[in-house]
Order: sequence, then C-alpha cells, then structure tokens
Amino acid sequence: MSELQILVNGLVLGSLYACMAVGFSLVWGVLNVINMLHGSFIVLGAYISFFLYRHAGVHPFISVPIAAAALFALGYALQRGAINRVVARPVLTTLTLTFGLDMLAYNLMILAFSATPVRIILDLGRVEAAGVVVPVDRLAAMLLALLLTAVLYAVMRGSKIGRAIVAVRMDRDAATLMGIRVERIYATTFALGALMAGAAGAMLALIFPISPTMSGQYLGKVFIVCVLGGLGNVPGALAGGFVLGLVEAFAGVYLGPQNAMTMGYLLMLLLLLVRPTGLMGRKGYE
Amino acid sequence: MPEPLLEVRDLAGGYGDVQVLWGIDLVVEEREIACVVGSNGAGKTTLLRTISGMLRPTAGMIRFAGRDLAGAAPDAVLGAGIAHVPEGRRLFRGLSVRDNLLLGAYTRSDGRAAVERDLAFVYDVFPILKERRNQDATTLSGGEQQMCAIGRGIMAQPKLLMIDEMSLGLAPRAVEVLGEALAGINRRGLTILLVEQDVITAFDLARHGFVVDMGRITISGNTATLSTSDAMRGAYLGSVAKSEVG
Repeated sequence: MSELQILVNGLVLGSLYACMAVGFSLVWGVLNVINMLHGSFIVLGAYISFFLYRHAGVHPFISVPIAAAALFALGYALQRGAINRVVARPVLTTLTLTFGLDMLAYNLMILAFSATPVRIILDLGRVEAAGVVVPVDRLAAMLLALLLTAVLYAVMRGSKIGRAIVAVRMDRDAATLMGIRVERIYATTFALGALMAGAAGAMLALIFPISPTMSGQYLGKVFIVCVLGGLGNVPGALAGGFVLGLVEAFAGVYLGPQNAMTMGYLLMLLLLLVRPTGLMGRKGYE
Repeated sequence: MPEPLLEVRDLAGGYGDVQVLWGIDLVVEEREIACVVGSNGAGKTTLLRTISGMLRPTAGMIRFAGRDLAGAAPDAVLGAGIAHVPEGRRLFRGLSVRDNLLLGAYTRSDGRAAVERDLAFVYDVFPILKERRNQDATTLSGGEQQMCAIGRGIMAQPKLLMIDEMSLGLAPRAVEVLGEALAGINRRGLTILLVEQDVITAFDLARHGFVVDMGRITISGNTATLSTSDAMRGAYLGSVAKSEVG
C-alpha cells in the first residue's frame, strides 16, 4: 500500500473520529461532564441507520439527520431528567452517573439488538486518482462528517445559542444575569453532543460492522481525540481526530492492525507528558 | 405623587443561613440616578443580587414598575426591565466585544433590527467598543471592559440599570469618562442605580443616596445634603472628616 493511500485512509478515518469526538468534547468542556454514554450514543445512531435501511429501505445518508434528531431528543431528556440533578457536583459524581446509565444502555442494546455485528452493505463504487482508491461511501461519509463538524462550529461561533453556550461555560453566574437559563443551556449542549454522536454513528454503520460491544472502543477513541486536541473547541477535536486517524492508519499498516489502537493510547500518554492542555487547548481556558 | 420605579421595603436575605440584609428600604424614582454606598461587606452586592433574582429574599417586598419581583427568577427580573452590571465586569472570555454586547440582548424578542439599533447606540456612546468590536472582550483595558459591561446591560433595553462598583480598580480618568457617559444615558431616560464604595464618585453622579451599613440603610437623602451632613460624616466619612480636620 502506498504512503499516499495510507494518508488518505487516515484522513477519512480522522474526519469520522472528529465528528464522533466533537460532541463529547463540547459536553466535557461546557458541562464538565465526562459523558460515558457517548460511545453508546454512537452505536445507537448506527443502529437507527441500520434498521431504517433494513426495514424501510432508507438510504443511510438520509438516516443521518433522523438519527441526529432522535439522539438530540434522547440527550435533552436525559440531561433534563437525570444529569442536571447532579451537574454542579464534582466530576466524579457525574462520571459515575453516566457510567451507570451507560451500563443500562449497553445491556438494553445487547438485549434489543444482540451482540452479533451487523453492517449495511451498499456498493456505491469507488473513486480512483493518482493511484489512490477510495470507496464512494467512505468519501461521502468523510465529507458529511466534515460538513457536520463545520456546521457545529458555525453554530457555536455565530448563533445566539452558541454564544449562550460559550457564556455559560465561561461564567455561569454572569450568564444567568443575561437572562440565560443555565439548566436549559446544559440540556441543549448535552443534546447537541448526543446529536453529533448519533450522526457520526449513522455514517459509521456504512463503513464498519456495528455491535453494542463496540461502544467502549468508540468511547476510548473519542477520549483520545479530546485529550490530543484539547477540550471544548471544535478545531481541537478536528485536529485530534485527524492525528488519531493518521496514527491508526499508519500503525495499522506498519505495526499491524492489532496495534493501531495501542499506538493511539501511547500517543495520548506522550502528549499528556509534554503538553497536557492538548494540541489546541489553552491553559485555564477550559 | 407618581409611584417610584423601584421600591424595596423591609428586604431581608443573604446566603443560606447567613443573613446579610436586615430590612432594606430603598426607593428609586423614574429617570433619576440613585446610589447605594457603604463599606466593604455592608451588603451592597447582596442587595443587588437579591433584586436581580440571583438570591431569594427571605422577607420583604421588591416592587418594580407596578410588578412584584420578590423571588422572581433572574430572567423574569431582566424581562421586567432591570439589568444588573456585576462587580468586576464579568465579561465572557473567548467572545468578542460584539458577542458580549449581543448576549446582553439574549432575552429580547423584538427582532434583529431593534437589537442592531441598540448596538449602534452603544457604539455611539462608547466609540472605542466599535473600534474593538471583534477583539476578545477580556483583552480590553479595565475602563473599556467596564464600558463593555455597561453596554451589555444597556443591550437588554432595561428601564433600570444597576451597576455594581463601576469605579473599582479604574484610573480616575476612566471613571470620569464613564460618569459622563452614564449622565448622558440617564438624560435619554434610563434610570440608574449605582452601588459604590467610592462615595465621592457616587454622590457626584447621583441625586439620591442611600448609605448601607451592616445590612441596613442607615441614612438616606439628597446627595448634596448628605455629603455635608454631620451624621453622614460620622457614620461613613468619619475617618476622612477627622483627617481633614486634623
């Protein structure tokens, strides 16, 4: 396999990782909640896409907004109903709550979907240029993932709700004085995080086999991306996603696919030693 | 006699079990500048936070423009027309001057054009903010940050603007500029309640003054009379008066 091909594979993977991680990063940065449910949100999004395809023939790309909307609603309800009750507590409390919720979600999904991996197979052909081959479904998923990430960025930077989210993150008290209802912003932020996970999952179903047992693996990847890139900002998640995608692609070829994930963790540890704020994170900014 | 814009009667409150306010009486007339002065820890900030709904009063009345606001949530108080510029400016880091100003208009629903008009008004009052509108608000100088914080308050289109420690930590020249701006805004119809440790600045701007000590209003009246009154000197300017004599 040529270096260029590996590079392209890494970029495809990286943009998906960025899309998966950006919501996790947002929730962590704004709510100071390490959302252990994020991996399950991704898997749930993937299953929504899978079932819509199998039972209703809905094209996976059409399922992306459907899965996104479903996860937004679920995320909002979870935050309002459960997480908001402990959101001001130390991070370990919220971590424990989302960990418990994740165990529930995991077992419910095993019960409902079984652990057997499933996959959507759509042959959309492939694109070939300069000796690099990319299947069309992967290329489309990559572009869609980047588009979604860009939309989130635009929402955060240029919209009223985005300003309110940043305001709440920076100074809760002052945000309240602006008439911002903090618990609603928390719920919206958490819902946006779930939305991005659901959308990413819906695209993932087209590329990888999916199973409830993979939620932990995705959670791990998302965690690495956030530590690599720095928390709470979209460019950080994008940078972290691409770095992890490239590391996995190259390590997979040169060291064997079984070592790809290990290299990701190793990189995270090294970065923590050298630059604990992450590539794009600013000290004290979080 | 017309009803005052803000009327506070027997207001008590504080933080949990710690009572800070012990029966505050305060009246702000429409279109005036009033001030609350008092030393550090007297309860000034607690009073403002109770009026703006950040703290729940344990007793008493807050009547504003014909509405009872005691115990109302901060967004309801803001909606009723009271904006609170907090001590220390509390601008949002990572957001531009313009974004900070727009956050002041968060609860408004009268359309983008009206908000843009008020934004233009704020830029008109504080031209430096227009020049720096795309800069991170927390990189401004102290005086400019206070301008931005006051502008953010104005963006809520309030009937009453409460400003906590406007002059704290600012150069005299900056305080002067801010004071002139406030007088100008007040002439256009906005009622202002200043809360200050700096009596000279506050009395210079305000018509009515309230002196708060240990969570009670001890003296109140016309600022011109107050600054020459013996009771005031004794209670608050005591050390200054003595040193002047000495």
